[in-house]
Amino acid sequence: MWSYVLRRLGQALLVLFVAFTATFFLLHYLPGDSVIARYGSPQLGLSSAEVAEIRASIGADQPVWTQFWLALTGFLTGDLGFSTQTGASVSSMLAAALPATAALTLTSFLLAVVLAFTIAFTSTFSPFAWLRRVTRALPPLFISIPVFWLAIVLIQVFSFQLGLVPVIGASDLQALILPSLAISVPIAAPLAQILVSSIDEVRSQPFVSVVRAKGASNNWLLWRNVLGNALLPALTIAGLLFGELIAGAVVTETIFGRSGIGRMTEQAVANRDMPVLQAIVVLSAATFVLINLIVDLLYPVLDPRLRKKVRA
Amino acid sequence: MSLRREFVLSQYRPVSAVMAYVPLPLGRCGRTAIAPCLPANIVDAGRIVIWGTPSQRKGCRPASQSFDEPVLVILLNIITQAANAHVQTAVSMPVLHITSQSFRVETVNQYVHPMSPSHLRPGHPRRDSSHHFRLGATALAASLALAACGGGDVGAEGDPETGGTLTYLEHQPYDTLYPPAAGFYPNGAVINNIADRLLWQDPETLELHPWIATELPEVNEDATEFTFTIREGVTYSDGTELTAENVVKNFDLYGRGDSERTLSVSEAINNYDHGEVIDENTVRFHFDEPAPGFAQATSTINSGLLSDETLDHTQEDFGPGNATTIIGSGPFVVAEEELGTEYTLEAREDYDWAPEEHHHQGPALIDAVNVIVTPEDSVRIGSLVSGQADVARQIEAQDEEQLEESEAEIEAYGTKSVNNGFNFRIGHPILEDLETRQAIIHAVDREAVLESLFTDSYPLATSPLASDALGYSDQSEHYEYDPDRAIELLEEAGWEEGPDGIRERDGERLHLTVNEAHPQPRSAELVTVVAQQLREVGIELELLSGDRAQQNEEAQDPELVQIFHSMVGRADYDVIKSQYHSENRNVLLNGYEDEVTDPELESLLEDIASLPDEADRVVASEQAQEYLAENAYVLPFFEEPQVYGVQPHVLGFETESVARPSFYAVSLDD
Repeated sequence: MWSYVLRRLGQALLVLFVAFTATFFLLHYLPGDSVIARYGSPQLGLSSAEVAEIRASIGADQPVWTQFWLALTGFLTGDLGFSTQTGASVSSMLAAALPATAALTLTSFLLAVVLAFTIAFTSTFSPFAWLRRVTRALPPLFISIPVFWLAIVLIQVFSFQLGLVPVIGASDLQALILPSLAISVPIAAPLAQILVSSIDEVRSQPFVSVVRAKGASNNWLLWRNVLGNALLPALTIAGLLFGELIAGAVVTETIFGRSGIGRMTEQAVANRDMPVLQAIVVLSAATFVLINLIVDLLYPVLDPRLRKKVRA
Repeated sequence: MSLRREFVLSQYRPVSAVMAYVPLPLGRCGRTAIAPCLPANIVDAGRIVIWGTPSQRKGCRPASQSFDEPVLVILLNIITQAANAHVQTAVSMPVLHITSQSFRVETVNQYVHPMSPSHLRPGHPRRDSSHHFRLGATALAASLALAACGGGDVGAEGDPETGGTLTYLEHQPYDTLYPPAAGFYPNGAVINNIADRLLWQDPETLELHPWIATELPEVNEDATEFTFTIREGVTYSDGTELTAENVVKNFDLYGRGDSERTLSVSEAINNYDHGEVIDENTVRFHFDEPAPGFAQATSTINSGLLSDETLDHTQEDFGPGNATTIIGSGPFVVAEEELGTEYTLEAREDYDWAPEEHHHQGPALIDAVNVIVTPEDSVRIGSLVSGQADVARQIEAQDEEQLEESEAEIEAYGTKSVNNGFNFRIGHPILEDLETRQAIIHAVDREAVLESLFTDSYPLATSPLASDALGYSDQSEHYEYDPDRAIELLEEAGWEEGPDGIRERDGERLHLTVNEAHPQPRSAELVTVVAQQLREVGIELELLSGDRAQQNEEAQDPELVQIFHSMVGRADYDVIKSQYHSENRNVLLNGYEDEVTDPELESLLEDIASLPDEADRVVASEQAQEYLAENAYVLPFFEEPQVYGVQPHVLGFETESVARPSFYAVSLDD
């Protein structure tokens, strides 16, 4: 077990290193850099000599390998550098942005899970055939709704038309409702889809007929036999959906004017703010790796058959 | 765009009318048909607005006293003149500013609408100005409806309410609060309201007046020494005093920069040598070369005065997240900040050093301003329309219609500077010859461009400078749309039609690339429309793609970008030099690779920024504009405005000279 975890952690570090290196060199070899984005704007009226001086003062004129080495050692020692755009330290920017995004993504994810289960159960166990058909059509519909469009529609309807939730001057809780709803819909879609099909699959297996023949009720079947088995594929998808959550945060945080990692990403991309982008990529990669590691470790908990494999 | 007339009021006093119906010689204005009579009302002491649309009339207050008839006649006359002087861009919303000595009418360009003489209805004044007065008087007698009047003076009637919090929407977070580098508009909402300046520039007349300096500066003959007397009793919001030493410390930093802290020199301050404390209340600034633009430079937000401690900040300390540590002496202080999303400006109760010429004195009328960043346009507009916000900046042209249907008003303020336009890289082989440049200009139908992409808030440019900029001179004859002439010119220049319709010369295609001006409104769309027009005469125009970093980088290379789309905002004669001189923004890339392509332009521009006498600077500026137009160096499109959406209950919202918001005189009407 522990050697498995250690091996996975080793892989994770490798993934992080590759992500870091790839980001660094990709950004480095694009035309222009963060210094020119910040100081090359004609609004400032700086001459190219002055820009070069600024570049020298932050070490952006050094050979690429030196810069890479400095950035890498900086990351390893916890020094993420300073944003070229604003001059603020990247670690303090991340610290300020993280809680808001964590709250947003977590709420969205929980909402998505609730939504997915509601769809899955309704489409499988509803006594009405028409309702089952309708709910089965929902996942393909949901996944084709773009988050930005949904966010704008939600704001227009619930805030501007009905006036139920303010967008401007909302409390922390109010400010969470619409954005998490917007993110959760496209996340819920694949989850529901997988749940529906795996519930169908499990229900068609012979052991279910046996249990049913022994006189088990529908509920007993669902909770004791079907669900556990149907959850495994859904869990895998849930881990992979983390990427969607981050993408959703970029869009919704910008639309709703929330602070957070998504907003930071949008700003950093617009300004080619390399230190910030570098940190965001590594942070996202780390979280992604970590979540999928947790998912992998959860498998044996849910499925006894896998426990033995892991131990072996 | 604004039209101003000053009138001495001594023979017409008292002028404390509140409401009068003033006939306008305009059949239509804006996109809303208006009644031939328009109401006027006094908003606050000394300011009368003549309303432009029926919806605005709701705001009119009951009458207290009528205008004297002669005043009304003059009023009518002014409006008539305004309308006739601008047959192309008729004006219909004049704002009257009344002081005890004089009143002037300024037209606000938000209702400017292209108007042909046929719109002038029979019975109204003709274009012949000698008839204005008489015809105006007739019309007045015929249709003037004056409301009944009581006593009371202007001030008592219009006492504004105090208190309350204004919600102001910005489209991006500010990026730095270091004044010399704070030109980016979102920075202006902070600096313009928390930092005072030595001088105050009246945003309408562009005249300079004392503020923290008690007098206009004493300037030596060749404009290399400026002596200011500093007002006593001014304190920063941290309690420290604004002293002569502090003022010198401010300008020593802004004029020289500090490369160790990556703090840049202010673009507005040229040739600065050092500041000197003469005595307790007097400072003198010394320059290496004449710097006649310095007096105006001290009035811009780039010269916002900050406390000693703030001036020791590094570049990082001026960045986002530190707004509460930026200490100025202005009417507001930054009280709270949530990084990247919102901040609060709180009024200083002890503020008592507004510019004497300003119509409001003492502390600000409102308690606080909540500035909220809403990057998504539809959310910003929706919040305003649904009443969740009071004022929003950056109303895009395509969103104005939505706002027009709501209660909120669209207020466009001119930036009174170098117009939004295309600048040709004159050293590039294709753009080297005059004919080709002229052909491009004549092939572009600017009115069609404005018609399809913009609104009345964006007046057609008639010169490289905006018509309300200092030193403006009309050059519209050089910018006529004439595609036949364009083709002729291209053929003269040796461009022959190629197989796919794009012209060629000695095997070289007539292909040009233009950058996307990210900060400018609808730059990419504008380029697309212009490209379609240029294609008609066989010119291929390509839009440079890429993010801000790539645009900034490649724009400096004439091989990659031959036409540079940009504008610049500063209300001084110097602004034209800032834009075109090889040592400043150098948008023409005059002098790329050391060799200056056109030394004559350089010397014309240098004159503007170095002649000590104002009249000479006006002449130099006119010459430079004519030179730029005659040589077809520049194709200006429109006078770029800052467009705000303002709720009707917000009174007294105004902007500084290049349209950055000022909350000082804002009050909220219940």
